[in-house]
This record gives sequence, C-alpha cells and structure tokens, in this order.
Amino acid sequence: MKNFAGHLGRAFITFLQDLSSLYYLFRETVLQSFVLITDRKKRRQAGLLTQIDEIGTQSLPLVLAVASLLGVAMTVLISFQLKEVGGYNYIPGLVAVAIFREMGPLLTALIVAGRVGAAFTARIGTMKVSEEILALETMAINPVRFLVVQRFLGLLFSLPALTMLANFMAVFGGFLFGSTRLGIRPDTYVRETLDVLTFTDVYSGVVKAGVFAVIIVMVGCYRGLVVEGGAEEVGRATMLSVVSSTLAIIVLDTFMTGAFYG
Amino acid sequence: MGNSHMIRANGIKKNYGARTVLNGIDFIAEQKKITYILGSSGGGKSTLLKILIGALKPDDGQVLYRDMDITKLRGTGLDPFRKKIGMLFQQGALLNSLTVGENISLPIREHTPLDDNIIKIMVKMKLELVGLRDFEDLYPGQLSGGMQKRVALARALALDPEVVFFDEPTSGLDPIASSVITKLISDLNRVLGITCIVVTHAVEEAMKIANKIVILYKGAVLAEGTPAEIRGSSDPIVQQFITGSPDGPISFHASSRDFREDLLVE
Ligand SMILES: Nc1ncnc2c1ncn2[C@@H]1O[C@H](COP(=O)(O)OP(=O)(O)O)[C@@H](O)[C@H]1O
Ligand SMILES: [Mg+2]
Repeated sequence: MKNFAGHLGRAFITFLQDLSSLYYLFRETVLQSFVLITDRKKRRQAGLLTQIDEIGTQSLPLVLAVASLLGVAMTVLISFQLKEVGGYNYIPGLVAVAIFREMGPLLTALIVAGRVGAAFTARIGTMKVSEEILALETMAINPVRFLVVQRFLGLLFSLPALTMLANFMAVFGGFLFGSTRLGIRPDTYVRETLDVLTFTDVYSGVVKAGVFAVIIVMVGCYRGLVVEGGAEEVGRATMLSVVSSTLAIIVLDTFMTGAFYG
Repeated sequence: MGNSHMIRANGIKKNYGARTVLNGIDFIAEQKKITYILGSSGGGKSTLLKILIGALKPDDGQVLYRDMDITKLRGTGLDPFRKKIGMLFQQGALLNSLTVGENISLPIREHTPLDDNIIKIMVKMKLELVGLRDFEDLYPGQLSGGMQKRVALARALALDPEVVFFDEPTSGLDPIASSVITKLISDLNRVLGITCIVVTHAVEEAMKIANKIVILYKGAVLAEGTPAEIRGSSDPIVQQFITGSPDGPISFHASSRDFREDLLVE
C-alpha cells in the first residue's frame, strides 16, 4: 500500500515536470514561429506546404471515410429513438449539432493523434537517439525552430480544415441515409439542418480543433525530444505520446463542450 | 607565450547519478595542433567531448576556448562559440531526411546571407575536401559508414571552423576507410591550420599523427606528452595501454567490487 502511494506520488511529480517542460516548449515554439514567419529565407526553407501536405492531405481519405460512416451510424441510432414518438423532423438538426460541436472535432483529432502525432514522436525521437538533434545544436541551429515550428503551423492549419471537411462529410452521410432510407425529403433535410445549426456550433468546433492541434504537436514533439537510449525507447515514447495526447484531448474536449454551452 | 591554447580544460568533473565518470580532467589543446585524447570504451570520452563543446555542463571545472569559459554560457550565448567549431559525431549524426548536399549547406544557409549559387559552390568545395564531390544528391542511408563520416566531416567544416572535435572518427570502419579519415585529419591540420581534438581508443593512429597525446584512466589524466614521450613512458599502465596487452595493472573487470563478494550476495 505504501509502495503504491509512493508510485502515485512519483507519477504525479513526473506529470508536473512534463507539464512545465511542455509549457516551455510551447512558449519557445510560439516565439520561434514568429521568427520563422517574419524571415523570408527561413520560411522558404521550412517547407510549410510539405507539412500541410503530409499532415493534412494524406490524412484526408481516412478522416473522410470514418466521418461519413459516423454520420450514417449516428442517424441510424437517433432514428431508432425518434421512431417511437414520430419525430423524424428532429433528426437533421440533432445529427448536425452533435457532429459540429462534438463528434467531428473529437474524432478527427483522435485519428490525427494516432496517425500524425505518433509519426512526430517516432521521427523526432529517432533523430534524438542518433544525435542528429545534438548535431543541430552544435551547429547553432535551434532544434525547435528546425523541427517543431513547421509541424506546429502545419497542424494548426490542417486540423481545423480537416475537422470542417469531416463535419460536412458526416452530415452528408446522415443526409444520404435520412433521405434514402428514412423517407425525409432532401430539401426538408437541408432546410432543417441549416435552421438548427448556429454560428456557435460551427466555430466552437474550429476552436476545439485548434486546441487539439496544439496538444498533438506539443505532446508528439516533446515525447520525441526527451527520448534517451535506443530504438526501443523511441517505440515506447511513441506509444506514450499517443496515449497521453488521446487522454488530454478527451479531457479537454469535455471541459470545452461544457464551457461553450455555459 | 602561455596563451597559445585553443581549448583548455581545468578540473572537469562529471557524475551520472552516483557514478563518477570524470574526476578532475586537466589538459591543454594548443592552437593549430592535433591533440589526441585516448581512453578505454565507456571511459567517458564522449562525455568529455560533449562538455568541451558546451552540450553538457560539468559538475565542476572550466572549459576555456581562448579566454572564454564556455561552461558559463547557456542557450544562444553559446552560438558565437558554436559557429567557430565543428564536431564529427561518433555515428556521424547526419540528418537522414536531407541529401548529402543539403546536410552540408544547412549551417551555411543558417548563418550566412549567401545566395543559392554560391552555397552550391561551397558545398562542392567541402565535398572535394573529403573526396566525395559527386555524392551531393545521395541520402546518408545510401552511403557506407566511412563515407557518411566523411560527409559529416564536410558538414563540420562548412563554416570554416578554427577547431574540429572528433569522437572516435575511425571506430567501426575498415582499415582503409580508417586510414583515409586519419589522413584527412592530418591534412586538415597541415593544410588549413585547423586545431584538431580527437577522442579515441585507437592508439596506433594517435601515435602516427598526434602532436600531443592525453591518456585518460579512471576519470583522470594518466599521462600527457608527445607520441615519443608516451612511448618512452616507464609507467606500466601507460605501457599496457599503448601495447593493448590483456595482462598488466589494468584489470579486465570493470567493476571495482570483488567477484566473490558479488557471488556471495546472491
Ligand atoms: N546520459 C547518461 N546517463 C547515465 N550514464 C551515462 C550517460 N551517458 C554516458 N553514461 C555512462 O558514462 C560512461 C561513459 O560514457 P561515454 O562518455 O559515452 O564513454 P566513451 O565515449 O568513452 O565510450 C559509460 O559507462 C556510460 O554508460
Ligand atoms: Mg563514446
């Protein structure tokens, strides 16, 4: 029992240390982002478009496929419940709000954390253990600017964009199911959706996506930057990176959902 | 002039946890000379080198670059020093996602306002120095270990450093690749006047090209002198070190604890 308490205490201290290191990494990243944005030569070198392509475009098929299925599944579930009371006309609004506010941002962030966040950790961790990062420092090249900033800016743009596309795709999935299988008239479905959906629904999703992007980049890069040892440690760090960013995304999502309704 | 040192270590100490790796290292690496630091594997050579380039802070002691104590500098404060030095890492540490040419142009792009055409020419010149002019479009993964080290050396030379540090430049290479690197070190020093500081366990090489040899043993400097002085040393430990004999004062057991004691504890 005492041993357990000791473990818990140490884990908590490690957590606080990680949190403060993450804060410093975030601060340095924001600072270096400004350096990069204001320097034409360095901006060109950073290859922002390549990042957006790697992070965004390449995640797009997976995100869209999952989103459309999610839209169908939600519509099916909701229609079961509403069938009893004959409230089919509530379906379009319910589905759209749930997707824009909650499911779209959350699902997209979780997919990207698993796909892109893990890749950040693996890539940067490998560079760490092969002393490439030490080599950068020795050449007086800031590793945060060289490795983190373009990923940060790339994901800060890509994740909200992916989220919006996922939202539309999911709503479209619901629309297809509703209009073909539930007998809701297409024009009614569209009108109901647009009537219910507010500006807050849309923009709260974008804000969430922005916050999730920061979490994925910071956790992914941080876990890579602090790896010590060899390939085995890089694997462990990658796993840890996905677990901790997933957890952080879900916890913050709950708070933000509450805050936007409050 | 007592001021001809390029790098001077004063009483450097370093522990990892309870384990003492360096216990007061003093030596001088003179300007435009080749200094070899010899030590056994796991003896703290890489640790010492990381302290000399400011990547690791010692627990105690100073590292003077000319008259500047670099152990007192942190963060970007180290940048002026870093632009004056080059480092060849034990595994090369080339960026694997960049081509050979991009690796070498990286520090030039970062620290000079030169335009792409001039940088291209400089990259060619650096590659020519290490005898790999036609390799700039390959990736490090496509090169042999010896070639990777030569590219890493070209990168270390990119900003025309005053001092280049080498971490076991020939370990893991075949005899020919090793002597190519050794000759490169000697040429850099002779032709370009670059101060070279090499840590290694390769005694033969040191004897061939060093101006000065410093032998590390148990975290301290055991002997220091020209190759001839070291060869003529009467110290049995030094003799065992340079002949590489398994028998002698240096125990083959790394642990200071008694083997029997260890067995009894079990
Ligand atoms: N970051 C570290 N943490 C703990 N121990 C370390 C660390 N780096 C090196 N060591 C230990 O310190 C000793 C010296 O290491 P190193 O300087 O790499 O030796 P060398 O380069 O001479 O082989 C080794 O026993 C190594 O295990
Ligand atoms: Mg070493």
